Formats: sequence, structure tokens, C-alpha cells
Amino acid sequence: MSILTTVVGAYPKIPNRPRPAKLRTAIARYEQGEIGDAELTAVQREVVREVIDEQIDAGVDLITDGLIRWEDDVTPFARAFAGFSIDGLVRYFDTNTYYRQPVVEGPVAWTRPVVVEEWKYAAAVSDRPVKAVVTGPYTMARLSLDRHYGRLEPLVLDLAEALHQELVALQAAGADYLQVNEPAVLQHPEDLPLLERALEVLTADLQQEVMLYTWFGSVAAVYPRILDLPVAVLGIDFVHDPQNLEVVRRAPFTKKLAYGIVDATNTRLETVDEIVERIRAMVDHVPPDRLYVNPSAGLEYLPRETAQAKLRRMVEGVRRAREVLS
Amino acid sequence: MTRGLLTTTVGSFPKPPYLQQARNRYLSGRLSRQELHELELRATREVIRLQEELGLDILVDGEMARGDMTTYFAEHLEGMEISGLVRSYGNRYYRKPIIKGPVRWQEPITLEIWRYAQSLTDRPVKGMLTGPYTMVDWSFLEHYGSRREAVLALAEAVHREARALDEAGARYIQIDEPAVSSRPGELDLAIEAMGVVTRGLRARTITHICYGDFDAIFPHMLEMPVDQFDLELANRDFRLLDLFRARGGFPREIGLGVIDVHSHQVEPVERVKAGIEKALEFIPPERIYVDPDCGLKTRTPEEARAKLAVMVEAVRQVKRERGIE
Repeated sequence: MSILTTVVGAYPKIPNRPRPAKLRTAIARYEQGEIGDAELTAVQREVVREVIDEQIDAGVDLITDGLIRWEDDVTPFARAFAGFSIDGLVRYFDTNTYYRQPVVEGPVAWTRPVVVEEWKYAAAVSDRPVKAVVTGPYTMARLSLDRHYGRLEPLVLDLAEALHQELVALQAAGADYLQVNEPAVLQHPEDLPLLERALEVLTADLQQEVMLYTWFGSVAAVYPRILDLPVAVLGIDFVHDPQNLEVVRRAPFTKKLAYGIVDATNTRLETVDEIVERIRAMVDHVPPDRLYVNPSAGLEYLPRETAQAKLRRMVEGVRRAREVLS
Repeated sequence: MTRGLLTTTVGSFPKPPYLQQARNRYLSGRLSRQELHELELRATREVIRLQEELGLDILVDGEMARGDMTTYFAEHLEGMEISGLVRSYGNRYYRKPIIKGPVRWQEPITLEIWRYAQSLTDRPVKGMLTGPYTMVDWSFLEHYGSRREAVLALAEAVHREARALDEAGARYIQIDEPAVSSRPGELDLAIEAMGVVTRGLRARTITHICYGDFDAIFPHMLEMPVDQFDLELANRDFRLLDLFRARGGFPREIGLGVIDVHSHQVEPVERVKAGIEKALEFIPPERIYVDPDCGLKTRTPEEARAKLAVMVEAVRQVKRERGIE
């Protein structure tokens, strides 16, 4: 049984007492003008090292840098790309989390690396592989307010080109795992063909396998057509919509599955038995060597200590599953 | 002469720096509960005095003892716990509660400080509660089998607290439900729960609903069994009034938010007056209560004072010009 464990991306940025909330303090001081870019970056990197250690300590095989420098899923890209301004707070899907809405003011284009330096730093300080993560072109477009293109399609395709350059830069920097997040397509299944065209632009000439993640929704309306997307791994949230289990069984799963079975939005800890049962319910459909197990979404909806406890439990559940199912 | 345009606020005031520091010292074990409490009472006295000086009609205690509007109640209800810090956006975090077991009201939570605040003034002080729907929506749900079960259990608990305030003589009780506008699909549940909270109360009841999907919930939300709906109007430039007007008007009392609480800038008197005038085009003055969009706790004490002074001045001018008492 060679099931691998991974995460979807974000990790809580600050711990609870008695551990100090270093990053919160540093950002507040930065906003007051008391510290500069270099000092803020130093604290961010310290936190990246901590969250990498916590993930490795929990036993996760394939980790991320916790997206520690992202204030939300879209702002880092909207700030770096040409064509965007940043506006007020908007609710992020059906959560009590908010993001600053990017406004498309002109043609969107890649101008400089966005997450490459962060990824390089994380990879250098981690002894396990670190995924490079970007928000996908379709979701970027859906979470933005368009004042320039007037139509979704050209905006999505320009974003795909911009993000393609980012992935090329990540590949050149040595990233072996490229992850693209596209949760928004589940809210708009009619746009699956547009997503497919965007992903063709995005992944053109890449050597690496791309992992495409979705969360917070049903795949019923896009399955099995979603298996035609040009990616190697498909991430699906089976907690938000448990029916997804029956849905994916309707047709052979021809890709690797990133199996989101640990609830990233609730503190209740899954039992080891629950995790084993969920894995048992999938291994006859997707064999272990094509299965990643991960939380249902990024972990920032949870307090830091709960997030790590969930990862420990997940790893324990996968270990047990390897024993009992082999 | 027509009456109306009473002024009030939504509930929270900025905590003075000495209280912020004291809360931090208390949380790290360097200050006793009693010492913190003394400072909370001092800050409450200052908030009451400030509101009287400004000339507000209906006062609040300023929520000097509360951190977050859900956490505070969660800490005092059986069945609820605090999980830890969760980020809501940017660099802002809140201590998110967990519903761990059956929720029960044990003893009055807000009564003592409300009583204290009311003893300091002849003007009415509102009782301020967080509504059951918002309590559940902003908590992790570990115990109940459904959101509905949890919301109705919380409604019973909040009702007990409302009754304690009512019996103590509170003339106004506000039950905040900011989460209602974000999930139109659960509006009926929120309405049902509010019915549990407000049943049998003598006090005038108010609910505060934050900006959200009013297109989906108006006018259906008016079925909520309260006397007054307190809404954020200023931060969308009073455009919400157009929606109300186009859909048959606003047949209930409105708490008209005229001050943008998320902006550091103090709005000009003229802009506030224009908002009030716009409401007066289709809502009679006796049904309009003028207040800021939301709680003032995120503003500095100076900003809060300046913004409220503008609000009171705008109301004074409108009243004078229109002969409203």
C-alpha cells in the first residue's frame, strides 16, 4: 500500500497561547511603519520553517509552505500581475473568511515571479518535497471584478498565460510538484470547457505532473468529463459533499486522486477508524498507488493546534489503512 | 409636531488603550479578574458620559467587557468552548467558539454591566445580545446533528438572557444577527429562532443585520419578529434604500446606518444629512432611528467621537429644517 499523504495548501499562520503570534505582531508593526520589508520577510520565513516542521512532524509526505505569505488566494497574484487593482472585502465562497477582491482594470499579464522565491526558500529548508501552489486562472477570474474584458473567456485565457509563465518559472527553479487550485469551477460546471482550454494554455510544455485541486462542492455536474482535463492529479473534497463518493464511482477514475477526507472546516477530530473506512471505500476504485490522502481544503479555517492534530490523525489513519488493507 | 429621528449606536465602542493593555495582561495571567473588571467599569462610565455629551438618545454600555461578539457569549454558555484563533481576513483573527455539547443558559451574562450602565444615566441603555443564528454560523459545530437543532438550542439560551434584561427593565433589547444576510437559504430558520428569542418580551426589540445579499432576503426578512431592523446603509452609499423603495418601501422601524465604521475618514455632515433625507423620502421620521453602520470598536476613540458628533449634528440640522421634534 503506497498511499501518500499531502495537504491542500494553507496552514494557520499563528499559533495560540502560550506560543507567540509572531506573524500577526510583525504585520501589525509593518502596517504601522515600525519595521520594513526585510524584517517582515524574516518573520515570514521563520513561520514558514515552523509550519514546515509541523507538517513533517505530523508525518505528511508531500507538504507546502503553508501559503504563509498569502493574505488570501487571489491578492498575491493580483498584486504581481499587470492589469489589477485591489478592492474591498468579499466573502470567500460559503465561509466566514473574506478576501480583497481584485479588480481587472486592464490587460492581465505576468510581470515578475510571484511565488517562486517563497517556494525556493521552503524547498531549501524542507527535507520533504514541497508543492508549488498557484490559484488557477478560472478561479482567479471568478473571484475578481472585471472592468476591462467584458467577457469571462478572454480574461481567463490571459490569466492562464500569466500563470503559465509563473509555472514555467517554478519549473525552472526546480519545483517537481505543481498545484493549481480551481474550486470555482464546481460552482459553474457549465464552464468546464473553458477551464479545459485555460489549462491547455497553463500546462503547455510543462514536464511536471500538475495537480488540480477543487473543494467546497459537488463534482456531480462535471464528472467524468473533468477527467479529460490535462492534469495528472485531481483533488476532490469528499467532506463538503459526501455524495462525491458515489459520483466518482460512476466511471473509472483515470487519474490520480487527491482524496479530501479530513474536514478542514470543523474542529471535530476524525477517528482513525473513520479514516480507514473512507480509504477502504475508495481503494477498490482508485488503487493505493494512485491515491493521495489530504484534508478537504486548506487548513486555515482551523486553529493551528487543531490543524496539526488533524494532520497527525490523518497520517495515523493512512498508516493503519496500509496495515489493514494490504 | 412630528417626532422621530432618535439617535443611537450599534453597540460596541473602541476600548481605551488602558483597557486594551489590561486585557492583554489579564490574558497572560499578569492581572486579576477583579482588577480587569474595575477597569471595564471605568471604561463603561466613560462611554456613558461620552454618549451623553454627544447628545445621543438611546445609549449602550459600549461592550467594554467583550472581545468578540460570539466568543463572549460562548465563554458563558454551558456546552460551548473556545477553539483558538482563526483568521477571518488580512491580519484579523477571532477566537472561534465550538459547540461541544447541549447548549444551556446558566446565569445572566450581560445583566450586571447593563444594570451598571443604566444606573449611570436617565436615558435608556439598550441590552445587547448576539443572535442564535449568528452564534451557530460563527462557531464550529461538533455536537448537534443539524444546524437547525443547534440554532434552536441557542435561541432558547439567548431568550433566557433577553428575559433577564427585560425583567430588569431594559426598554430596548437588540439581538444582532449579522450572519443572516450571508445565507439567504437559511433565512426561515433565523426568523424561527428570533421568534423564540423575542417571545413575550415587553422591551422594544431590534435586530442588526450586516450588509449582504439583501436582494435575496428583502422583504422576506421583515417577517423576523422584532420591532426594528438596524442596517448598514452608509458603506454602500445608501443604495440599499433604492432596493427597499422599489420593493414596496420599508414598512417597519429602521435603524439607519449613516456612518461608515470601516473608514478612518470622518464623513461630512452634508453626506450624513443626504442619507437621512433619502430615507425620509419614503419612511416617516418616527420610524427612523439614526446610528452608525455597525459597532465602532475598530475605530480609534478619537475617530468614534468625531464620527458620532457629525451624526448628531446632521440629525439636529435635519430636524430643525423639517420641524421634527
